[in-house]
Amino acid sequence: MIQLCNLTKRYGDTVAVDGIDLVVEPGRVTGFLGPNGAGKSTTMRMILGLDRPSGGQVTVNGRPYVDAVAPLREVGALLEAKAIHPGRTARGHLRQLAASNRIDSSRVDDVLDTVGLTEVADKRAGKFSLGMGQRLGIAAALLGDPAIVMLDEPVNGLDPEGIRWVRSLARSLADEGRTVFISSHLMSEMALMADHLVVIGRGRIIADQPLSDFMSEYASNEVILRSPHITRAAEVLTGPNTEVQLNGEHLHVRGMDPEHVGDAMHAAGLVVHELTVNRSSLEDVFMELTADAVQFQTSQFEEVPA
Amino acid sequence: MSAAIATVTCPKPTFASTLHAEWIKLTSVRSTWWTIISIVSLGVGLTVLICGLNAEWLASEEANEAVGSFITWGMMVAQIGAVVLGCLIATAEYGTGQITSTFAATPKRGQVIAAKAVLLTVLLFVVGTVTALAGYFGGNWFLEREGIGLALEGNVLRAMYGSGLYLAGLGLMSLGFGFIVRHSAGAISTALALIFVVSNMVFLVPGEFGEWIAKLMPSNAGSVITTPVSFNPNLLDAWPGFAVFLAETLVVLALAWVLVRRRDA
Repeated sequence: MIQLCNLTKRYGDTVAVDGIDLVVEPGRVTGFLGPNGAGKSTTMRMILGLDRPSGGQVTVNGRPYVDAVAPLREVGALLEAKAIHPGRTARGHLRQLAASNRIDSSRVDDVLDTVGLTEVADKRAGKFSLGMGQRLGIAAALLGDPAIVMLDEPVNGLDPEGIRWVRSLARSLADEGRTVFISSHLMSEMALMADHLVVIGRGRIIADQPLSDFMSEYASNEVILRSPHITRAAEVLTGPNTEVQLNGEHLHVRGMDPEHVGDAMHAAGLVVHELTVNRSSLEDVFMELTADAVQFQTSQFEEVPA
Repeated sequence: MSAAIATVTCPKPTFASTLHAEWIKLTSVRSTWWTIISIVSLGVGLTVLICGLNAEWLASEEANEAVGSFITWGMMVAQIGAVVLGCLIATAEYGTGQITSTFAATPKRGQVIAAKAVLLTVLLFVVGTVTALAGYFGGNWFLEREGIGLALEGNVLRAMYGSGLYLAGLGLMSLGFGFIVRHSAGAISTALALIFVVSNMVFLVPGEFGEWIAKLMPSNAGSVITTPVSFNPNLLDAWPGFAVFLAETLVVLALAWVLVRRRDA
Protein backbone atom coordinates (compact mmCIF):
# COMPACT_ATOMS: atom_id res chain seq x y z
CA MET A 1 0.00 0.00 0.00
CA ILE A 2 1.18 3.49 -0.84
CA GLN A 3 -0.11 6.46 1.11
CA LEU A 4 0.30 10.08 0.13
CA CYS A 5 -0.70 12.79 2.54
CA ASN A 6 -0.89 16.37 1.34
CA LEU A 7 2.08 15.62 -0.87
CA THR A 8 3.43 18.74 -2.54
CA LYS A 9 6.30 19.53 -4.88
CA ARG A 10 7.22 23.03 -5.88
CA TYR A 11 9.94 24.15 -8.26
CA GLY A 12 10.38 27.81 -7.50
CA ASP A 13 6.96 29.35 -8.16
CA THR A 14 5.72 26.37 -10.14
CA VAL A 15 3.64 23.85 -8.25
CA ALA A 16 4.14 20.46 -9.86
CA VAL A 17 2.24 18.44 -7.27
CA ASP A 18 -0.31 20.33 -5.24
CA GLY A 19 -1.22 18.68 -1.94
CA ILE A 20 -2.18 15.20 -3.07
CA ASP A 21 -3.97 12.83 -0.70
CA LEU A 22 -4.11 9.33 -2.06
CA VAL A 23 -4.10 5.72 -0.96
CA VAL A 24 -3.05 3.13 -3.50
CA GLU A 25 -4.57 -0.17 -2.39
CA PRO A 26 -3.31 -3.69 -2.99
CA GLY A 27 -5.09 -6.28 -5.09
CA ARG A 28 -6.12 -4.02 -7.92
CA VAL A 29 -4.63 -2.09 -10.78
CA THR A 30 -4.70 1.61 -10.01
CA GLY A 31 -4.38 3.73 -13.10
CA PHE A 32 -2.72 7.09 -12.65
CA LEU A 33 -4.00 9.18 -15.49
CA GLY A 34 -3.06 12.67 -16.49
CA PRO A 35 -1.67 14.67 -19.38
CA ASN A 36 2.06 15.14 -19.72
CA GLY A 37 3.28 17.53 -17.08
CA ALA A 38 0.37 16.87 -14.74
CA GLY A 39 2.72 15.65 -12.00
CA LYS A 40 2.52 11.86 -12.44
CA SER A 41 6.24 11.20 -12.69
CA THR A 42 7.09 13.68 -9.95
CA THR A 43 4.60 11.96 -7.66
CA MET A 44 6.09 8.56 -8.42
CA ARG A 45 9.62 9.87 -7.90
CA MET A 46 8.59 11.27 -4.51
CA ILE A 47 7.14 7.89 -3.54
CA LEU A 48 10.61 6.41 -4.07
CA GLY A 49 12.36 9.27 -2.33
CA LEU A 50 14.12 10.31 -5.55
CA ASP A 51 12.60 13.79 -5.38
CA ARG A 52 12.24 15.44 -2.03
CA PRO A 53 8.68 16.63 -1.30
CA SER A 54 8.25 20.35 -0.62
CA GLY A 55 5.51 19.40 1.81
CA GLY A 56 3.43 16.49 3.04
CA GLN A 57 4.34 12.85 3.52
CA VAL A 58 4.49 9.68 1.55
CA THR A 59 4.82 6.19 2.97
CA VAL A 60 5.28 2.79 1.42
CA ASN A 61 3.97 -0.06 3.56
CA GLY A 62 3.65 2.40 6.39
CA ARG A 63 7.08 3.98 6.35
CA PRO A 64 9.19 6.24 4.15
CA TYR A 65 10.77 4.33 1.27
CA VAL A 66 14.26 5.35 2.38
CA ASP A 67 13.73 3.27 5.54
CA ALA A 68 12.81 0.11 3.65
CA VAL A 69 14.93 -2.84 4.74
CA ALA A 70 15.21 -4.26 1.24
CA PRO A 71 13.87 -1.55 -1.07
CA LEU A 72 13.61 -3.61 -4.26
CA ARG A 73 11.63 -6.28 -2.42
CA GLU A 74 9.09 -3.69 -1.33
CA VAL A 75 8.65 -1.63 -4.47
CA GLY A 76 9.58 -2.53 -8.00
CA ALA A 77 9.49 0.51 -10.21
CA LEU A 78 9.91 1.43 -13.83
CA LEU A 79 10.38 5.18 -13.85
CA GLU A 80 12.29 6.04 -16.99
CA ALA A 81 12.77 3.59 -19.77
CA LYS A 82 16.50 3.29 -20.24
CA ALA A 83 17.51 4.42 -16.78
CA ILE A 84 20.44 2.23 -17.61
CA HIS A 85 24.07 2.75 -18.55
CA PRO A 86 24.10 2.14 -22.33
CA GLY A 87 27.39 0.28 -22.13
CA ARG A 88 26.12 -2.32 -19.69
CA THR A 89 24.37 -5.48 -20.79
CA ALA A 90 20.82 -6.24 -19.76
CA ARG A 91 22.11 -9.07 -17.58
CA GLY A 92 24.81 -6.85 -16.05
CA HIS A 93 22.24 -4.20 -15.20
CA LEU A 94 19.98 -6.71 -13.46
CA ARG A 95 22.90 -8.46 -11.73
CA GLN A 96 24.07 -5.28 -10.07
CA LEU A 97 20.52 -4.41 -8.98
CA ALA A 98 20.08 -7.91 -7.54
CA ALA A 99 23.41 -7.66 -5.72
CA SER A 100 22.49 -4.31 -4.18
CA ASN A 101 19.48 -5.84 -2.44
CA ARG A 102 20.85 -9.35 -1.88
CA ILE A 103 18.39 -10.85 -4.29
CA ASP A 104 19.38 -14.29 -5.50
CA SER A 105 21.09 -13.99 -8.89
CA SER A 106 18.85 -16.77 -10.25
CA ARG A 107 16.07 -14.15 -10.27
CA VAL A 108 17.95 -12.32 -13.03
CA ASP A 109 17.38 -15.14 -15.51
CA ASP A 110 13.80 -15.56 -14.27
CA VAL A 111 12.81 -11.96 -14.96
CA LEU A 112 14.72 -11.84 -18.25
CA ASP A 113 12.63 -14.82 -19.29
CA THR A 114 9.41 -13.20 -18.00
CA VAL A 115 9.90 -10.08 -20.12
CA GLY A 116 11.20 -12.02 -23.13
CA LEU A 117 14.74 -10.61 -23.22
CA THR A 118 16.68 -13.84 -22.65
CA GLU A 119 18.08 -13.84 -26.17
CA VAL A 120 19.46 -10.31 -25.93
CA ALA A 121 20.52 -10.55 -22.27
CA ASP A 122 24.19 -10.12 -23.13
CA LYS A 123 23.70 -7.24 -25.55
CA ARG A 124 24.53 -3.72 -24.42
CA ALA A 125 21.45 -1.81 -23.35
CA GLY A 126 22.47 1.14 -25.54
CA LYS A 127 21.57 -0.94 -28.58
CA PHE A 128 18.06 -1.63 -27.32
CA SER A 129 14.94 -0.19 -28.91
CA LEU A 130 12.61 1.85 -26.69
CA GLY A 131 10.35 -1.18 -26.37
CA MET A 132 13.21 -3.43 -25.29
CA GLY A 133 14.30 -0.75 -22.82
CA GLN A 134 10.77 -0.77 -21.37
CA ARG A 135 10.90 -4.54 -21.03
CA LEU A 136 14.24 -4.34 -19.27
CA GLY A 137 12.85 -1.67 -16.96
CA ILE A 138 9.90 -3.93 -16.17
CA ALA A 139 12.30 -6.83 -15.56
CA ALA A 140 14.14 -4.64 -13.05
CA ALA A 141 10.83 -3.79 -11.38
CA LEU A 142 9.95 -7.48 -10.98
CA LEU A 143 13.42 -8.50 -9.79
CA GLY A 144 12.70 -8.31 -6.07
CA ASP A 145 9.29 -10.01 -6.37
CA PRO A 146 7.88 -6.88 -4.72
CA ALA A 147 4.43 -6.44 -3.20
CA ILE A 148 4.17 -3.05 -4.89
CA VAL A 149 4.80 -2.56 -8.58
CA MET A 150 4.90 0.96 -9.94
CA LEU A 151 5.21 1.56 -13.67
CA ASP A 152 5.47 5.01 -15.22
CA GLU A 153 4.08 4.99 -18.77
CA PRO A 154 4.98 1.32 -19.32
CA VAL A 155 3.37 0.97 -22.74
CA ASN A 156 5.36 3.81 -24.31
CA GLY A 157 7.28 2.47 -27.25
CA LEU A 158 5.76 -1.00 -27.06
CA ASP A 159 4.21 -2.71 -30.05
CA PRO A 160 0.60 -3.94 -29.82
CA GLU A 161 1.74 -7.35 -28.66
CA GLY A 162 3.86 -5.72 -25.96
CA ILE A 163 1.00 -3.50 -24.87
CA ARG A 164 -1.26 -6.51 -24.47
CA TRP A 165 1.50 -8.24 -22.54
CA VAL A 166 1.82 -5.31 -20.08
CA ARG A 167 -1.96 -5.36 -19.63
CA SER A 168 -2.05 -9.05 -18.74
CA LEU A 169 1.04 -8.68 -16.55
CA ALA A 170 -0.62 -5.87 -14.60
CA ARG A 171 -3.74 -7.96 -14.25
CA SER A 172 -1.92 -11.03 -12.96
CA LEU A 173 0.17 -8.96 -10.52
CA ALA A 174 -2.99 -7.42 -9.07
CA ASP A 175 -4.70 -10.82 -8.93
CA GLU A 176 -1.77 -12.07 -6.87
CA GLY A 177 -2.71 -9.41 -4.34
CA ARG A 178 0.01 -6.90 -5.19
CA THR A 179 -0.38 -3.15 -5.31
CA VAL A 180 -0.14 -2.13 -8.94
CA PHE A 181 0.20 1.57 -9.74
CA ILE A 182 0.49 2.43 -13.41
CA SER A 183 0.60 5.85 -15.00
CA SER A 184 -0.44 6.79 -18.47
CA HIS A 185 -1.52 9.80 -20.43
CA LEU A 186 -3.83 7.63 -22.53
CA MET A 187 -7.37 7.21 -21.23
CA SER A 188 -8.02 4.40 -23.68
CA GLU A 189 -5.13 2.45 -22.24
CA MET A 190 -6.29 2.95 -18.68
CA ALA A 191 -9.84 1.96 -19.59
CA LEU A 192 -8.48 -1.44 -20.61
CA MET A 193 -6.04 -1.93 -17.77
CA ALA A 194 -7.20 -0.26 -14.57
CA ASP A 195 -9.67 -1.31 -11.89
CA HIS A 196 -9.39 1.98 -10.13
CA LEU A 197 -8.67 5.33 -11.63
CA VAL A 198 -6.85 8.33 -10.24
CA VAL A 199 -6.94 11.34 -12.53
CA ILE A 200 -4.43 14.09 -11.99
CA GLY A 201 -4.33 17.49 -13.65
CA ARG A 202 -2.08 20.39 -12.83
CA GLY A 203 -0.77 18.58 -9.78
CA ARG A 204 -4.20 17.96 -8.26
CA ILE A 205 -6.33 14.86 -7.97
CA ILE A 206 -9.43 15.36 -10.09
CA ALA A 207 -10.93 11.92 -9.71
CA ASP A 208 -10.19 8.92 -7.51
CA GLN A 209 -12.74 6.15 -7.96
CA PRO A 210 -13.39 2.73 -9.48
CA LEU A 211 -13.11 2.78 -13.24
CA SER A 212 -16.72 1.66 -13.64
CA ASP A 213 -17.99 4.55 -11.51
CA PHE A 214 -15.80 6.94 -13.41
CA MET A 215 -17.19 5.77 -16.71
CA SER A 216 -20.82 5.96 -15.69
CA GLU A 217 -20.30 9.32 -14.05
CA TYR A 218 -18.30 11.12 -16.67
CA ALA A 219 -18.68 9.25 -19.91
CA SER A 220 -22.43 9.77 -19.67
CA ASN A 221 -24.40 10.72 -22.71
CA GLU A 222 -25.30 14.24 -23.50
CA VAL A 223 -28.50 15.04 -25.34
CA ILE A 224 -28.44 17.86 -27.86
CA LEU A 225 -31.73 19.51 -28.53
CA ARG A 226 -32.81 21.96 -31.23
CA SER A 227 -36.14 23.71 -30.88
CA PRO A 228 -37.74 27.05 -31.86
CA HIS A 229 -38.62 27.43 -28.14
CA ILE A 230 -35.10 26.97 -26.93
CA THR A 231 -35.27 29.30 -23.92
CA ARG A 232 -38.48 27.74 -22.67
CA ALA A 233 -36.99 24.33 -23.21
CA ALA A 234 -34.02 25.26 -21.05
CA GLU A 235 -36.37 26.22 -18.23
CA VAL A 236 -38.42 23.08 -18.57
CA LEU A 237 -35.45 20.72 -18.65
CA THR A 238 -33.50 22.24 -15.83
CA GLY A 239 -33.85 20.17 -12.70
CA PRO A 240 -32.00 18.97 -9.64
CA ASN A 241 -30.30 16.15 -11.57
CA THR A 242 -29.92 17.78 -14.93
CA GLU A 243 -27.69 20.42 -16.22
CA VAL A 244 -28.40 22.41 -19.35
CA GLN A 245 -26.25 24.64 -21.38
CA LEU A 246 -27.36 26.89 -24.21
CA ASN A 247 -25.02 26.87 -27.14
CA GLY A 248 -26.31 28.96 -30.06
CA GLU A 249 -29.56 27.40 -31.13
CA HIS A 250 -28.65 24.09 -29.46
CA LEU A 251 -29.34 23.06 -25.93
CA HIS A 252 -26.93 20.59 -24.32
CA VAL A 253 -28.66 18.50 -21.69
CA ARG A 254 -26.77 16.32 -19.25
CA GLY A 255 -28.23 13.92 -16.73
CA MET A 256 -31.34 13.01 -18.70
CA ASP A 257 -31.76 10.37 -21.36
CA PRO A 258 -33.27 11.25 -24.76
CA GLU A 259 -36.62 9.56 -23.98
CA HIS A 260 -37.17 11.79 -20.96
CA VAL A 261 -36.09 14.90 -22.84
CA GLY A 262 -38.64 14.12 -25.59
CA ASP A 263 -41.38 13.37 -23.07
CA ALA A 264 -40.71 16.55 -21.14
CA MET A 265 -40.82 18.65 -24.29
CA HIS A 266 -44.06 16.98 -25.36
CA ALA A 267 -45.62 17.53 -21.93
CA ALA A 268 -44.73 21.23 -22.10
CA GLY A 269 -46.15 21.46 -25.61
CA LEU A 270 -42.85 22.47 -27.16
CA VAL A 271 -41.81 21.61 -30.69
CA VAL A 272 -38.66 19.60 -31.16
CA HIS A 273 -36.69 19.97 -34.37
CA GLU A 274 -33.74 17.83 -33.49
CA LEU A 275 -32.82 15.41 -30.72
CA THR A 276 -29.34 13.89 -30.83
CA VAL A 277 -27.36 11.81 -28.40
CA ASN A 278 -23.72 12.82 -28.14
CA ARG A 279 -21.72 9.95 -26.73
CA SER A 280 -18.54 11.52 -25.56
CA SER A 281 -15.65 9.16 -25.58
CA LEU A 282 -13.61 8.59 -22.46
CA GLU A 283 -10.80 10.37 -24.20
CA ASP A 284 -12.97 13.48 -24.57
CA VAL A 285 -13.99 13.30 -20.94
CA PHE A 286 -10.41 13.03 -19.88
CA MET A 287 -9.36 15.94 -22.06
CA GLU A 288 -12.17 18.00 -20.67
CA LEU A 289 -11.35 17.01 -17.11
CA THR A 290 -7.71 17.83 -17.35
CA ALA A 291 -7.75 20.72 -19.81
CA ASP A 292 -8.09 23.13 -16.98
CA ALA A 293 -8.33 21.57 -13.58
CA VAL A 294 -9.12 24.84 -11.87
CA GLN A 295 -11.88 25.86 -14.23
CA PHE A 296 -13.37 22.42 -13.93
CA GLN A 297 -13.53 22.60 -10.21
CA THR A 298 -15.25 25.94 -10.08
CA SER A 299 -17.77 25.82 -12.88
CA GLN A 300 -18.38 22.99 -15.26
CA PHE A 301 -19.18 20.12 -12.96
CA GLU A 302 -20.45 20.87 -9.54
CA GLU A 303 -19.84 17.51 -7.96
CA VAL A 304 -16.18 16.89 -7.60
CA PRO A 305 -15.55 13.36 -6.46
CA ALA A 306 -13.62 13.17 -3.26
CA MET B 1 4.63 -12.11 14.48
CA SER B 2 4.80 -10.84 10.98
CA ALA B 3 8.01 -8.96 11.70
CA ALA B 4 9.75 -12.19 12.65
CA ILE B 5 8.62 -13.88 9.45
CA ALA B 6 9.91 -11.01 7.36
CA THR B 7 13.39 -11.25 8.83
CA VAL B 8 13.53 -14.98 8.20
CA THR B 9 12.62 -14.82 4.51
CA CYS B 10 14.60 -11.72 3.67
CA PRO B 11 18.39 -11.52 3.82
CA LYS B 12 19.05 -7.90 4.75
CA PRO B 13 21.09 -5.88 2.28
CA THR B 14 24.17 -4.41 3.93
CA PHE B 15 26.98 -2.08 2.93
CA ALA B 16 28.69 -5.16 1.47
CA SER B 17 25.70 -5.55 -0.90
CA THR B 18 26.16 -1.98 -2.09
CA LEU B 19 29.88 -2.64 -2.57
CA HIS B 20 29.08 -5.78 -4.54
CA ALA B 21 26.61 -3.92 -6.76
CA GLU B 22 29.03 -1.06 -7.38
CA TRP B 23 31.80 -3.55 -8.18
CA ILE B 24 29.61 -5.17 -10.84
CA LYS B 25 28.81 -1.72 -12.23
CA LEU B 26 32.45 -0.69 -12.26
CA THR B 27 33.65 -3.82 -14.05
CA SER B 28 30.76 -4.15 -16.49
CA VAL B 29 31.40 -1.01 -18.52
CA ARG B 30 34.23 -0.56 -20.98
CA SER B 31 35.19 2.96 -19.88
CA THR B 32 36.68 1.52 -16.66
CA TRP B 33 38.98 -0.80 -18.58
CA TRP B 34 39.96 1.89 -21.08
CA THR B 35 40.97 4.32 -18.35
CA ILE B 36 42.96 1.64 -16.51
CA ILE B 37 44.71 0.68 -19.74
CA SER B 38 45.55 4.33 -20.38
CA ILE B 39 46.88 4.81 -16.84
CA VAL B 40 49.14 1.77 -17.11
CA SER B 41 50.36 2.37 -20.65
CA LEU B 42 51.01 6.09 -20.16
CA GLY B 43 52.50 5.63 -16.70
CA VAL B 44 54.83 2.80 -17.63
CA GLY B 45 55.51 3.80 -21.23
CA LEU B 46 56.39 7.44 -20.59
CA THR B 47 58.58 6.66 -17.57
CA VAL B 48 60.55 4.09 -19.55
CA LEU B 49 60.77 6.38 -22.56
CA ILE B 50 61.92 9.43 -20.59
CA CYS B 51 64.45 7.41 -18.57
CA GLY B 52 65.74 5.78 -21.75
CA LEU B 53 66.15 9.11 -23.53
CA ASN B 54 67.71 10.92 -20.58
CA ALA B 55 69.87 8.20 -19.02
CA GLU B 56 73.03 9.20 -20.82
CA TRP B 57 72.53 12.92 -20.09
CA LEU B 58 71.67 12.22 -16.44
CA ALA B 59 74.89 10.23 -16.07
CA SER B 60 76.93 13.07 -17.59
CA GLU B 61 78.51 16.12 -16.00
CA GLU B 62 75.93 18.51 -17.52
CA ALA B 63 72.96 16.97 -15.69
CA ASN B 64 71.24 19.49 -13.44
CA GLU B 65 68.27 17.34 -12.42
CA ALA B 66 68.10 14.49 -9.95
CA VAL B 67 67.70 10.99 -11.34
CA GLY B 68 64.91 10.41 -8.84
CA SER B 69 62.75 13.04 -10.56
CA PHE B 70 62.60 10.87 -13.66
CA ILE B 71 61.78 7.44 -12.25
CA THR B 72 58.02 8.14 -11.96
CA TRP B 73 57.79 10.71 -14.77
CA GLY B 74 54.95 8.94 -16.56
CA MET B 75 52.68 9.21 -13.54
CA MET B 76 52.41 12.98 -14.16
CA VAL B 77 50.47 12.15 -17.30
CA ALA B 78 48.84 8.92 -16.12
CA GLN B 79 47.06 10.83 -13.36
CA ILE B 80 44.65 12.15 -16.02
CA GLY B 81 43.25 8.63 -16.15
CA ALA B 82 42.53 8.67 -12.42
CA VAL B 83 40.68 11.98 -12.79
CA VAL B 84 38.62 10.68 -15.69
CA LEU B 85 37.75 7.43 -13.91
CA GLY B 86 36.77 9.20 -10.70
CA CYS B 87 34.54 11.69 -12.51
CA LEU B 88 32.92 9.07 -14.75
CA ILE B 89 31.96 6.77 -11.89
CA ALA B 90 29.72 9.56 -10.64
CA THR B 91 28.69 11.38 -13.81
CA ALA B 92 27.92 8.33 -15.95
CA GLU B 93 25.09 7.65 -13.49
CA TYR B 94 23.56 11.05 -14.17
CA GLY B 95 24.27 11.17 -17.89
CA THR B 96 22.54 7.87 -18.52
CA GLY B 97 19.65 8.11 -16.07
CA GLN B 98 21.12 5.12 -14.23
CA ILE B 99 21.07 7.21 -11.04
CA THR B 100 17.30 6.67 -10.81
CA SER B 101 17.75 2.90 -10.70
CA THR B 102 20.67 3.23 -8.32
CA PHE B 103 18.94 5.37 -5.73
CA ALA B 104 15.69 3.41 -6.06
CA ALA B 105 17.64 0.24 -5.23
CA THR B 106 19.73 1.90 -2.52
CA PRO B 107 17.84 4.93 -1.21
CA LYS B 108 20.51 5.58 1.40
CA ARG B 109 22.55 7.72 -0.93
CA GLY B 110 25.54 8.16 1.33
CA GLN B 111 26.03 4.41 1.11
CA VAL B 112 26.31 4.60 -2.67
CA ILE B 113 28.92 7.36 -2.50
CA ALA B 114 30.87 5.47 0.17
CA ALA B 115 30.84 2.24 -1.82
CA LYS B 116 32.07 4.00 -4.95
CA ALA B 117 34.75 5.75 -2.92
CA VAL B 118 36.02 2.53 -1.33
CA LEU B 119 36.23 0.66 -4.65
CA LEU B 120 37.85 3.58 -6.42
CA THR B 121 40.46 3.96 -3.66
CA VAL B 122 41.45 0.29 -3.70
CA LEU B 123 41.44 0.04 -7.48
CA LEU B 124 43.48 3.19 -8.09
CA PHE B 125 45.92 2.43 -5.28
CA VAL B 126 46.66 -0.98 -6.79
CA VAL B 127 46.77 0.26 -10.38
CA GLY B 128 48.87 3.30 -9.44
CA THR B 129 51.39 1.31 -7.42
CA VAL B 130 51.72 -1.46 -10.00
CA THR B 131 52.11 1.12 -12.78
CA ALA B 132 54.81 2.99 -10.86
CA LEU B 133 56.66 -0.25 -10.14
CA ALA B 134 56.51 -1.38 -13.76
CA GLY B 135 57.79 2.05 -14.81
CA TYR B 136 60.57 1.79 -12.26
CA PHE B 137 61.75 -1.60 -13.48
CA GLY B 138 61.62 -0.52 -17.11
CA GLY B 139 63.19 2.90 -16.58
CA ASN B 140 65.78 1.71 -14.12
CA TRP B 141 67.09 -0.78 -16.68
CA PHE B 142 68.29 2.18 -18.77
CA LEU B 143 69.60 4.04 -15.72
CA GLU B 144 71.59 1.04 -14.52
CA ARG B 145 73.25 0.71 -17.91
CA GLU B 146 74.62 4.21 -17.30
CA GLY B 147 75.59 3.31 -13.76
CA ILE B 148 73.02 5.60 -12.13
CA GLY B 149 70.40 3.01 -11.17
CA LEU B 150 68.20 3.56 -8.13
CA ALA B 151 67.64 0.96 -5.43
CA LEU B 152 64.02 0.16 -4.58
CA GLU B 153 64.19 1.50 -1.05
CA GLY B 154 63.62 4.66 0.95
CA ASN B 155 62.12 7.52 -1.05
CA VAL B 156 62.15 5.48 -4.25
CA LEU B 157 60.00 2.80 -2.62
CA ARG B 158 57.76 5.49 -1.14
CA ALA B 159 57.30 7.01 -4.58
CA MET B 160 55.91 3.66 -5.75
CA TYR B 161 53.08 3.30 -3.24
CA GLY B 162 52.95 7.10 -3.09
CA SER B 163 51.91 7.04 -6.74
CA GLY B 164 49.16 4.60 -5.81
CA LEU B 165 48.04 6.82 -2.93
CA TYR B 166 48.09 9.96 -5.05
CA LEU B 167 46.07 8.39 -7.84
CA ALA B 168 43.56 7.10 -5.30
CA GLY B 169 43.29 10.59 -3.79
CA LEU B 170 42.86 12.20 -7.21
CA GLY B 171 40.19 9.66 -8.07
CA LEU B 172 38.33 10.43 -4.85
CA MET B 173 38.50 14.18 -5.37
CA SER B 174 37.26 13.71 -8.94
CA LEU B 175 34.45 11.48 -7.67
CA GLY B 176 33.43 14.40 -5.46
CA PHE B 177 33.53 16.80 -8.41
CA GLY B 178 31.50 14.31 -10.42
CA PHE B 179 28.73 14.16 -7.82
CA ILE B 180 28.75 17.94 -7.43
CA VAL B 181 28.74 18.81 -11.15
CA ARG B 182 26.76 15.72 -12.36
CA HIS B 183 27.98 16.18 -15.91
CA SER B 184 30.91 14.26 -17.40
CA ALA B 185 32.46 16.97 -19.53
CA GLY B 186 31.89 19.60 -16.87
CA ALA B 187 33.36 17.54 -14.05
CA ILE B 188 36.38 16.28 -15.99
CA SER B 189 37.28 19.70 -17.32
CA THR B 190 36.86 21.29 -13.87
CA ALA B 191 39.11 18.70 -12.26
CA LEU B 192 41.73 18.81 -15.00
CA ALA B 193 41.77 22.60 -15.05
CA LEU B 194 42.30 22.68 -11.30
CA ILE B 195 45.08 20.11 -11.42
CA PHE B 196 46.98 21.07 -14.53
CA VAL B 197 46.22 24.72 -15.20
CA VAL B 198 45.31 26.52 -11.98
CA SER B 199 47.96 24.72 -9.93
CA ASN B 200 50.64 25.98 -12.32
CA MET B 201 49.21 29.47 -12.76
CA VAL B 202 49.27 30.17 -9.03
CA PHE B 203 53.06 30.09 -9.14
CA LEU B 204 52.69 33.48 -10.84
CA VAL B 205 51.00 34.96 -7.76
CA PRO B 206 53.73 37.12 -6.21
CA GLY B 207 55.08 37.12 -2.68
CA GLU B 208 54.89 34.73 0.21
CA PHE B 209 51.11 34.59 -0.12
CA GLY B 210 51.47 33.30 -3.67
CA GLU B 211 54.07 30.81 -2.58
CA TRP B 212 51.70 29.33 0.00
CA ILE B 213 48.74 29.23 -2.34
CA ALA B 214 50.90 27.30 -4.77
CA LYS B 215 52.10 24.91 -2.11
CA LEU B 216 48.56 24.21 -0.93
CA MET B 217 47.01 23.56 -4.36
CA PRO B 218 45.77 19.95 -4.34
CA SER B 219 48.03 18.59 -7.03
CA ASN B 220 51.09 20.57 -5.89
CA ALA B 221 50.66 19.33 -2.34
CA GLY B 222 49.64 15.78 -3.17
CA SER B 223 52.03 14.89 -5.97
CA VAL B 224 55.29 15.28 -4.02
CA ILE B 225 54.74 11.82 -2.61
CA THR B 226 54.95 10.31 -6.11
CA THR B 227 58.60 11.16 -6.75
CA PRO B 228 61.81 10.37 -4.83
CA VAL B 229 62.98 13.89 -5.69
CA SER B 230 60.54 16.55 -6.84
CA PHE B 231 61.30 18.66 -9.92
CA ASN B 232 60.05 21.64 -7.99
CA PRO B 233 62.00 22.27 -4.77
CA ASN B 234 59.51 24.88 -3.47
CA LEU B 235 56.82 22.42 -2.40
CA LEU B 236 55.72 20.89 0.88
CA ASP B 237 57.43 17.70 2.00
CA ALA B 238 55.89 14.45 0.84
CA TRP B 239 53.78 13.42 3.84
CA PRO B 240 52.65 16.89 5.04
CA GLY B 241 51.80 17.66 1.43
CA PHE B 242 49.80 14.49 1.10
CA ALA B 243 47.96 15.25 4.36
CA VAL B 244 46.94 18.67 2.95
CA PHE B 245 45.78 17.03 -0.28
CA LEU B 246 43.82 14.41 1.65
CA ALA B 247 42.11 17.08 3.75
CA GLU B 248 41.11 18.95 0.59
CA THR B 249 39.80 15.73 -0.93
CA LEU B 250 37.67 15.08 2.14
CA VAL B 251 36.23 18.60 1.93
CA VAL B 252 35.20 18.03 -1.69
CA LEU B 253 33.70 14.63 -0.83
CA ALA B 254 31.82 16.07 2.15
CA LEU B 255 30.33 18.78 -0.05
CA ALA B 256 29.34 16.15 -2.60
CA TRP B 257 27.75 14.05 0.14
CA VAL B 258 25.69 16.99 1.44
CA LEU B 259 24.54 18.00 -2.05
CA VAL B 260 23.65 14.49 -3.20
CA ARG B 261 21.58 13.86 -0.11
CA ARG B 262 19.78 17.17 -0.41
CA ARG B 263 19.16 17.39 -4.13
CA ASP B 264 16.57 15.58 -6.20
CA ALA B 265 18.16 12.60 -7.91
